[in-house]
Amino acid sequence: MPEIDIQHINKRFGKIEALHDINIMVEQGEVFGLVGPDGAGKSTLFNILTTLLLPDSGQVDIMGMDVVKDYLQIRQSIGYLPGVFSLYPDLSVQENLAFFATMYKSSVLDNMSLIKPIWKQLLPFKDRPAGKLSGGMKQKLALCCALIHKPKILFLDEPTTGVDPVSRKEFWDILKDIQHKNVTVVVSTPYMDEATRCDRIALIQNGNIIKIDTPNNIISNFRGHLYTVKMDDIFGLMQLMNQFELTCNYYPYGEHFHIAFYDEVEKALPAFERFLQDHGRQYGEIKPITPNIEDCFIELMQMS
Amino acid sequence: MKELRMILYKELIHIVRDKITLFLVLAIPIMLVLLFGFTISTEIRNAKVAVLDQSKDSQSVALIDKISSSGYFQVVAYPETESEIDRDFKEMDIKLAIIIPSEFEHSLEKEKIATLQIINDVSDLNVASVLNNYLQAITHDFITEYNHKGSESGTVEMVTNMRYNPEMNSVYMFVPGIITLIMIIVTALMSSITLAREKETGTMNMLLITPVKKVYVIIGKVIPYMCLSLISTAMIILISVFVFKMPVNGSIWLLLLLCIIFMFTAASFGMMISAISKTQIDAMMVTMMGLFLPTVLLSGFLFPLDNMPMFFQVLADVFPAKWFIIAIKDVMIKGSGFFDIWKYLGILILMAIVLITISLTNVDKRK
Repeated sequence: MPEIDIQHINKRFGKIEALHDINIMVEQGEVFGLVGPDGAGKSTLFNILTTLLLPDSGQVDIMGMDVVKDYLQIRQSIGYLPGVFSLYPDLSVQENLAFFATMYKSSVLDNMSLIKPIWKQLLPFKDRPAGKLSGGMKQKLALCCALIHKPKILFLDEPTTGVDPVSRKEFWDILKDIQHKNVTVVVSTPYMDEATRCDRIALIQNGNIIKIDTPNNIISNFRGHLYTVKMDDIFGLMQLMNQFELTCNYYPYGEHFHIAFYDEVEKALPAFERFLQDHGRQYGEIKPITPNIEDCFIELMQMS
Repeated sequence: MKELRMILYKELIHIVRDKITLFLVLAIPIMLVLLFGFTISTEIRNAKVAVLDQSKDSQSVALIDKISSSGYFQVVAYPETESEIDRDFKEMDIKLAIIIPSEFEHSLEKEKIATLQIINDVSDLNVASVLNNYLQAITHDFITEYNHKGSESGTVEMVTNMRYNPEMNSVYMFVPGIITLIMIIVTALMSSITLAREKETGTMNMLLITPVKKVYVIIGKVIPYMCLSLISTAMIILISVFVFKMPVNGSIWLLLLLCIIFMFTAASFGMMISAISKTQIDAMMVTMMGLFLPTVLLSGFLFPLDNMPMFFQVLADVFPAKWFIIAIKDVMIKGSGFFDIWKYLGILILMAIVLITISLTNVDKRK
């Protein structure tokens, strides 16, 4: 039996269809990533999974319990770290933790084992009001509060948004550590690079799941041939590209221009080079590259 | 129970650490009472008057003594003729002139009736009517004393029947009103605003996914603010008693019971507001429009209800403030006992029950 079984979930808010026919199965003990841009429906799905919101239709079972009927039992065995900082800013680090421990009918000392590595980092700030912590520290405290009752499943809604890169990496190390303590982790993120740290990911866009697979499988199933070019006026080139007649997928990628060809590369590559010369563009070397998860996501988005 | 204690403790921390709000909640009632008591008072002291005594007998002198020793009037001139009164109005800025006709004592004794002629400066209508009322009260006192001394009774022609507040003391009017407002602000508004704040910042969701009972969350939210409003109420009553000499004629325990019951009614209003508002602004607006304004306008606190159109009189019955103000005035001023005001207590309790039922049926049990 899967740890989380989501079947045909639909949810609309007025005219906006937030989630459309979502089907996901999460296995026990995996880190499952929900990857998609802002407004894709990630938080709505989290609210349904954490029993805070009712789906319009469909069925969700969490450890065999129904989110609509058995919400009270589910609440005791899940931990939730919401997308916005949701602790009491005027309570100190220690007070927040003690408060949530009591709410879960548990105590800070009982469950030290699970949170010890994180708590050690927070210890120097234990008397500081939670509102005055840095972004990374806030998230670590929130994580402690979400883990204080030894949940079986941990839900994290964009835990690293607004956190610096070093703290982000640290945070993911902590998540892996939690996974090893036999906790199923469901995490959402808008950052593509973080997606690769999940065991499996679901790509979500406009309320639709467009792909569920391991990051490696998603990358190896990239269908096009991907090239990168460094050039100055990427925006100008974007305007011109509709005159290029071969099937391809192109987008700016930082200072580079990414282009994926779907016709025979032997013909397409010279044709592209000729196209650039005909329009008098200055450009660097056109190099083939292995797609990363973001390239895959863009390809999948284009195809869906 | 451990959870409830923790929630109460947490709420206490919120209150104590938010110094500005705490200061306002405790200082505003004091400021309101002092403000109303000292500045917005309709009470007039030491109004300048002139007395033209055409009688100059023992009774007229006694009446003048009584007027000038009352504290409300200060006799600044003794004109000899009526034309001099006109001069005093212009030059000495007197508010009132009293003409005691000749043979004042004689009329009282023989004809049992004497007339006083009062000339008012009606450029300020309010002042004039207040002073007239004072004078009537003093004359009434005077004649009562006179009748006690002699075997026969006499009257002076300006006697009205004013009970409970013969000095028209304004403290009596506004203290119940201020207590009502403070109770509503602190109990209903503060608790619903802080509950809405938890919804806004997401901490409500964090609480919801814990196994803690929702009723603990609400009780834990309301109790600290109830205590705070009781403290404020106690301060208001202390100031009115010790600074403004307002009497507490009824039982202090009945007064406490009344305040606690009204606090529950206000708290249940707060619960209903929290049930329908998602943000702090919502909570604020709903309290202002739905509770605060009707309390100020329709409780009889600022504007007498008797003069209002029927529609507003009926509307006033729906809000708890009117009943509380009637009851608290009865207890403090008239010295009414439990059996005189049980009806009002019943109405307030009934309102609380209705409101709690409405908010409980409206609330999503999951949320």
